[in-house]
Amino acid sequence: MKHGFLDQYSDRDSFIHRLDPRTKFIISFLFILVVVLTPPDSWLVYMLYAALMAGLLLVGKLPAGYVLKRSLIIMPFVLLIALFIPFFKEGEVAGSYNMWLWQVTVTYSGLQVLVNIVIKSWLSILSLIWLTSTTKLPHLLRGLEKVRLPRVMVMILSFMYRYLFIVVDEAMRMKQARDSRNFGGGRRWQVTTIGNMIGTLFIRSYERGERVYVAMAARGFDGHIRTLNHLSFRVADAYFGIGGILVLTLISLFTFLF
Amino acid sequence: MHIPDGFLNITTVATTYVVSAGGVGNAVRVANRKLSEKQVPLMGVLAAFIFAAQMLNFPIAGGTSGHVIGAALAAILLGPWAAVLVMSCVLIAQSLIFQDGGLLALGANIFNMGIIASFAGYYGYRLVNSLLGSSRRGKLVGSAFGAWSSVLLASIACAIELALSGASPIGVVLPAMAGVHALIGIGEGLITAAVLSLVMATRADLMQLQRI
Repeated sequence: MKHGFLDQYSDRDSFIHRLDPRTKFIISFLFILVVVLTPPDSWLVYMLYAALMAGLLLVGKLPAGYVLKRSLIIMPFVLLIALFIPFFKEGEVAGSYNMWLWQVTVTYSGLQVLVNIVIKSWLSILSLIWLTSTTKLPHLLRGLEKVRLPRVMVMILSFMYRYLFIVVDEAMRMKQARDSRNFGGGRRWQVTTIGNMIGTLFIRSYERGERVYVAMAARGFDGHIRTLNHLSFRVADAYFGIGGILVLTLISLFTFLF
Repeated sequence: MHIPDGFLNITTVATTYVVSAGGVGNAVRVANRKLSEKQVPLMGVLAAFIFAAQMLNFPIAGGTSGHVIGAALAAILLGPWAAVLVMSCVLIAQSLIFQDGGLLALGANIFNMGIIASFAGYYGYRLVNSLLGSSRRGKLVGSAFGAWSSVLLASIACAIELALSGASPIGVVLPAMAGVHALIGIGEGLITAAVLSLVMATRADLMQLQRI
């Protein structure tokens, strides 16, 4: 089956693609940090952040349609959590509704918080899309190892990345087989079916993990992974890193001016 | 239950990061001490397994569907610390690759669905085992109870974090989250028990893996 969802476009070539993964990770993290720290009513500052992110995505040669689609996929889940908010903030009442047993009140300050949180989430999501769409995952993992993510986790993550496609394929094939056999029936039957599927998937994954280890041991694996690509900071990284931090500081200073 | 960025305030972000870093750091120490290099590829493949298992949706009600978290299953099969490691890797990958759960909220998400869910699942299972005995029935009931409590406690932790961040008052978000997840947890519990029932029937030896 086809998986277009993992680090697509990360093999393109651009100024951003050539940067060290650590530089991009740090800038992306700082971007999210300053966005989250922005007070609710600084609309101008949000626009500046959005413009900055648009610029970064443009320099990274990422298609706007792709980025937009990716960022919107996750928004329903954000809204699901955010929907609680406008009803329960105190303040000027925007509207009051009778829903079954509850008297529900929507307030303006609640709505403002809702819009504010959705904007923050969306900008943060764009930042992560920018990071992972311009960085190959193995490189990103090496970068994370260099910024002190424990080695055993980096190794688990790299094995996970390598076998994800295969295991997801297996799961999707089971799902296809299930659906083509008219999945339905009573609740009990459904639970048993899903349980059997996940159980089978577990046993197959476990056996695959054992085979993988045996194959690796046969090739001399001793618990260390050696690679040829070594990360190194270049002059461009220094310019981009310092420039990025300066711009982010400047924009966040705007918060106090307006 | 994946919290996106923007919901948590900076105090909650910092606190959950510190707590999760401590928990995951200890899981790494335990794994380095007790696991051989053989376990690392295995845990990687099992992380991919949890990821894939979360993609298998089942219908709940009114056209919505849900999926399992899998922390309890991982904890029962591999032990709570190994489950913390596997779940943390799954959550990191979900945040970075799918933007499912934020980067700043990663500490909170690892705390809820990694640490709380794994330990609740494991000790819920052990508790029932010690009450009913570790017969087949004890294991199935225990895994269902463990999985249910893992979902419920994770959602309660999530609600408390949201409330502390001022996103919603505790009196509203806590009963809402806990109520919804007490129901979702039933699905997780039944499916986890069904998974273990299959594993016991076909590869009973996998129930006796080294647990950490």
